[in-house]
Amino acid sequence: MSEMRAPRAPINRRALGRALSRIADASVSDALAVLEGDSHNAQVWRCGITGPAGVGKSSLVGRFVNARLSHARRVGVVAIDPSSPYTQGAILGDRIRIDAHGDDAELFVRSLASRRARDGLADNIANVLALLEEHDFDDVIVETVGAGQSQYEVRELVDTLVVVLMPGAGDMVQAVKAGILETGDIYVINKADRPGAKEMVAEIASVLRHPDGAEGWMPPVVLTSALAGDGVAELDAACEAHRAWRARHIDAESARQQRRRAHVRALVARRLAEVIDSSDNTLWDADVASAYHAVVAGLGFPGS
Amino acid sequence: MANQLQGKRILIAKPGLDGHDVGAKVIALALRDAGAEVIYTGLRKTPDYIARVAAEENVDAVGLSILSGSHLELVKLTAQALKREHADDVALFVGGTIPRGDWDALKASGVDCVFDSEMTLEQVVDEVARRLA
Repeated sequence: MSEMRAPRAPINRRALGRALSRIADASVSDALAVLEGDSHNAQVWRCGITGPAGVGKSSLVGRFVNARLSHARRVGVVAIDPSSPYTQGAILGDRIRIDAHGDDAELFVRSLASRRARDGLADNIANVLALLEEHDFDDVIVETVGAGQSQYEVRELVDTLVVVLMPGAGDMVQAVKAGILETGDIYVINKADRPGAKEMVAEIASVLRHPDGAEGWMPPVVLTSALAGDGVAELDAACEAHRAWRARHIDAESARQQRRRAHVRALVARRLAEVIDSSDNTLWDADVASAYHAVVAGLGFPGS
Repeated sequence: MANQLQGKRILIAKPGLDGHDVGAKVIALALRDAGAEVIYTGLRKTPDYIARVAAEENVDAVGLSILSGSHLELVKLTAQALKREHADDVALFVGGTIPRGDWDALKASGVDCVFDSEMTLEQVVDEVARRLA
């Protein structure tokens, strides 16, 4: 699986760290200004890791990253934690579990706060991922905020979406059935040592929607223990299988269109937040329809 | 505390071998409540690791919590590591059990400010905000 390649320039952590801040902090008009055509690099594999809070996403990402690095791949990770809606403050603690040793030359980890985003992602995440792709990574992995039933925006931004669940969480299957359980390419039941883990694998497998036709992708359900490292090789193999399936069955142009659509949707959502957050309180004296039209009129940039 | 640290990113790190991080966590939460995005490294990190995280996360400041008594050596090594990562423009704060007699030596090693247990959280946040303004 590992390919021979010419020695690469080392990751310039300082420069990339700064560039990521510039794009993460950019207003919508600034973000649009730095977009260079269509920046999606189809050679890069983008993987999303999502699932409810507390299922062990970060620990699993840490194990998974090591598996990817062992194939001589250069890995960039974006880990997102929630911002306080009141102070904008955040504790970004995922990376403790992702790069515990922090000495791998081929790994770069960046923590992001969700800021205005309410979809389990972060402001300008599409631009952030595109920027990482331009920096010679083989894999770009994004770990979402602990996500529940309806936060599946990440689906459209990645090639492979891994949904992580755990046993013993009561109604978790019920809770996720209609939301992220329809969006995953691979399901992981983490904390395999807990009672009910194997039963949960069967339960999830039984509710997954089967693909149309024999060529469709049937999401596997993988049992892991991020703590012990069990099942991580199986997860890695499932990801490789999905990558190979995509290469055969997903048309690159329609994938690009889907990603552009998600990118534009994210930009418009942020622009809407900018307009509403900066609006004068008198706007809300008007009736709903008038306020709506005023907000929509404000979405375009001055002079545009 | 108002949101005086909004838009700032701060790394709180524990270099060396002491195993107590209650103080580091209290400071991390106070900085968060003042609006900062706080990255916390966990215990027993090397100066090289701390500098690498500071660069990747593009933080405005690094706060070291040191209770082991090795603050002079650890601060010097961390300042050198930050320089190797081209991140020596990042503000450097130190807190913990630091005798007053060592403050000048720490500042000579590149520390912008030393915090001790006599200071209130409000004073710490105010001072950080003033230094990062």
